[in-house]
Amino acid sequence: MAKGFNHLLNAVVRIDVREVSYDAGVKRFSAGVGSGVIVTADGLILTNAHVASPKAIELIVTLSSLERVGAKLVGWDHWTDLALLRLDLEEVKRKKLTYTHANFGDSDTLFPGQIVYAVGTPHGLTRTITRGIISNNRRYFQDNTGVRGYETGAFNTWLQTDAAINPGNSGGPLVTEKGAVVGISSRGYLGANNLGFAIPANIARRVLDGLARDGSVTRSYIGLVPGALLDFESFYALALNTGMLVNSVDPGSPAAAAGLKGGDILLAIDGKAVDGRFPEQLPPIQNAIASRPVGSMVGLTVKRGVETATYSVVTEKLESQVGEEWAFEKWGLSVRKVSKSYARAGQLADATGMIVLGVQPGFPAAVAGLSRGDIVMSINRKKIVSLDLAKELHEAYVANPEPTLVEAQRDFRVSLYILKP
Amino acid sequence: MNPTLQSPSGPLRAYGRACEARPVVRSLNVATVRQCFALVVLVCAFGGAQAAELRDLWKERLKSVVAVEFFTETELDRRPTVAFGLVIDKEGTIILPGGAVNPRFTPSELKDFRIYLPGASVQKYTAATYLGQDVFTSWHLLKVADSLWPSLVPVTAFAGRGATDVKLGQEVWGLSLRGKDEDFAPYLLQAKIALFQTVPQRTAVCMDDVAAPGLPVFDAGGAFVGIGLAGFGQSFMQFSQRERNGEAIALVNLGESAAFLYADEILPYLGRRPLNVFGRSVPWFGAFGMQTIDPEVATFLKVDTGVVVSEVLAGSPAEVAGLKNRDVIVAIDGKPLPRLKPDRVLVSHVQREVNRRMPGEVFKVTVLRDKERIEIASTLVEEPKLQREAERKYFDRIGLTAREMVYADGIVRRAPVAEHTGIVAHFVKANSPAAAAGVGLDDWIKEIDGVPVKTFAEASAQLNAIQTDLSRAETVLLIRRGGETQVLRIKLK
Repeated sequence: MAKGFNHLLNAVVRIDVREVSYDAGVKRFSAGVGSGVIVTADGLILTNAHVASPKAIELIVTLSSLERVGAKLVGWDHWTDLALLRLDLEEVKRKKLTYTHANFGDSDTLFPGQIVYAVGTPHGLTRTITRGIISNNRRYFQDNTGVRGYETGAFNTWLQTDAAINPGNSGGPLVTEKGAVVGISSRGYLGANNLGFAIPANIARRVLDGLARDGSVTRSYIGLVPGALLDFESFYALALNTGMLVNSVDPGSPAAAAGLKGGDILLAIDGKAVDGRFPEQLPPIQNAIASRPVGSMVGLTVKRGVETATYSVVTEKLESQVGEEWAFEKWGLSVRKVSKSYARAGQLADATGMIVLGVQPGFPAAVAGLSRGDIVMSINRKKIVSLDLAKELHEAYVANPEPTLVEAQRDFRVSLYILKP
Repeated sequence: MNPTLQSPSGPLRAYGRACEARPVVRSLNVATVRQCFALVVLVCAFGGAQAAELRDLWKERLKSVVAVEFFTETELDRRPTVAFGLVIDKEGTIILPGGAVNPRFTPSELKDFRIYLPGASVQKYTAATYLGQDVFTSWHLLKVADSLWPSLVPVTAFAGRGATDVKLGQEVWGLSLRGKDEDFAPYLLQAKIALFQTVPQRTAVCMDDVAAPGLPVFDAGGAFVGIGLAGFGQSFMQFSQRERNGEAIALVNLGESAAFLYADEILPYLGRRPLNVFGRSVPWFGAFGMQTIDPEVATFLKVDTGVVVSEVLAGSPAEVAGLKNRDVIVAIDGKPLPRLKPDRVLVSHVQREVNRRMPGEVFKVTVLRDKERIEIASTLVEEPKLQREAERKYFDRIGLTAREMVYADGIVRRAPVAEHTGIVAHFVKANSPAAAAGVGLDDWIKEIDGVPVKTFAEASAQLNAIQTDLSRAETVLLIRRGGETQVLRIKLK
């Protein structure tokens, strides 16, 4: 093995995570194990968004020296399934610990058949190395609940490898024989043989910069749901390798406001031709829009029937469908705020309300009859426009427990409930 | 997915259980064998004069009972359904329970109604005509050809003195019929009344099965006291011989029922006849998603009980009269709503209050809005075109039945009335080009080959042209499912 490979091994860490969950009507704690790779001299660690999330309350990193040191979450991006941690440098100094950091390789030059290695902590087995090849260097998959319920894969393609990737490998690096990090192992098909996926290093590096600087990656949204054109060219009378199919336009989105419709063909973005014939070509097109500053004007050249026209669309900030979560302990009720994006997808009038994630048996919410999936629209006739308002109402209840009127809906059918002390 | 609109015109649930909508198909099973055995024991036990009397009563009353067979003809097949009917007048009018016909089918798909006399050879039957479903009672009405009239006696002939004066513990008897393969042989059921309930119609529950759904129940003197109700389920624990942990299950006997609808709830309404096969008139109020408030909420709101309205439908009488989303209906015509158990039957009560009126009549409710009581007086109108009235056409080469989009389709798809254009994929044939392209049941088709669908006639003509043009290789649909659209390519070659 090359010297570079040993250097890389010293940069791979195990990450033990303790985090909160809001599933059962109460705030609970759970623990998990993942992998990560130190990528800078000042202790930044790249891992998966599904390993270390903002719900983490404790992150313990085990260095290759088997020494343990705390870390803090610096940034998080579920769209690319990446998270950035920083080692507790004071603790490192106090304990006189040393570590190395890995070097990135160029993931664009990877070719199918090239030998790669996955390094990580599968099932808690620290420092496991598996070997395989790049099975496909531009795999498309988008999953709207792929990262612990959050959307992923709309803006990037993935490296597919047959190097064994098991639960716990997540966040560990996919590397070349020389030890250059070309990807971050992210996921595999459970029950399949060696169908693993990793985020390409070139995308990880861009996201890393954004996370280190801002803690998150801000993207632009216009509301187009793309589809691969495949062999639709003749139907739409298009030249080969031209255009992207618009499958759907989110209601109420900037694109809908500008007049775009499902069935349109997007020919160009700001005059630059797009080619969305194959599914793996969709993420770069989506990213071309997402990477614009929020509020910028995008010119979309669109073909509808025989007409071609240019529409100006002003982007807004991309939001997840998954809103903030909370547990109201005295009610035994855990919730997730309805987000604008969730409301659009669920055909709700606006983002009012919070979705019940769980109720604790024997507590007021459960006794009243609320259950998972109900959307709480108002409490004591106050519309739940924010989680803070609900928290205030809960605090008022804690201070002075009195029967509280809750209006909730399920499948657009409204029911009333009383939370009783 | 089969979205159904819970509008006031929806099928009424007499004793709400999931299987009610299924046709009552008789089959030989252990339970019926047991009942036959019971019959033998019972006749022996009675003995003497009393048994003879029951036998005579039975023989006479059998003439108001028929077996009904009809065929549901869909795109691909023709299926028989068997249900039991009750003769209600001297002109051969027969009623079937609401659940006997699947509401997804339109009357034109219901063919070849045949009336069989219980116990007579099934080689012989008499044709009947379907008259439609009555919105208030939910009964389906048939009229049998006059050749059979002399053999029938309306059940009203037995509605005499003390007909509805049944008491707890009183013994009542009814009948059920065996399957077609046994010439629909009638058999006796008998039980004692265990419970009276208002759900929201007055209903008696017996200690054992007392009649087949749709067939009559009599007292010991032979007076008509009610009709067997479908879907009366009972809870059981099911244990496997190998596993210790039992599983709670609900068993519903489709052939026999322990519950019967009180004669008081039947006799006054036997004169109701729908104006056409679609069951018109159907009065429409327009309060969608009504839910009974529970007692805790009622106490909090300082009312006895009430029904919260989830949504007031656009263009409905309720909207015109000023009803608002989230209003709680607490009274009808100034009369507070009754407290009924279980809670949910109060919704049926309100729906029945709408359905017992005619379009053009006034429907007055008192609602609680925040802390204010408001009187709402609406004038009911005919409900907009119903799904069963919607036009439909099957396109075999595509593998798709297109159905006209009606008001309720737009409501369940949460679309504003102005956007209620398009057609609905009412049926998708398995392995057909439409199925292969991903067209799903109840998909809303907005565009065909890039042309927005405006009317059913236009869309139908377009699909027909596509189907008959054999040189055509494909057609492209824009469908909407949930809030999203999708472009689907149907390959015809």
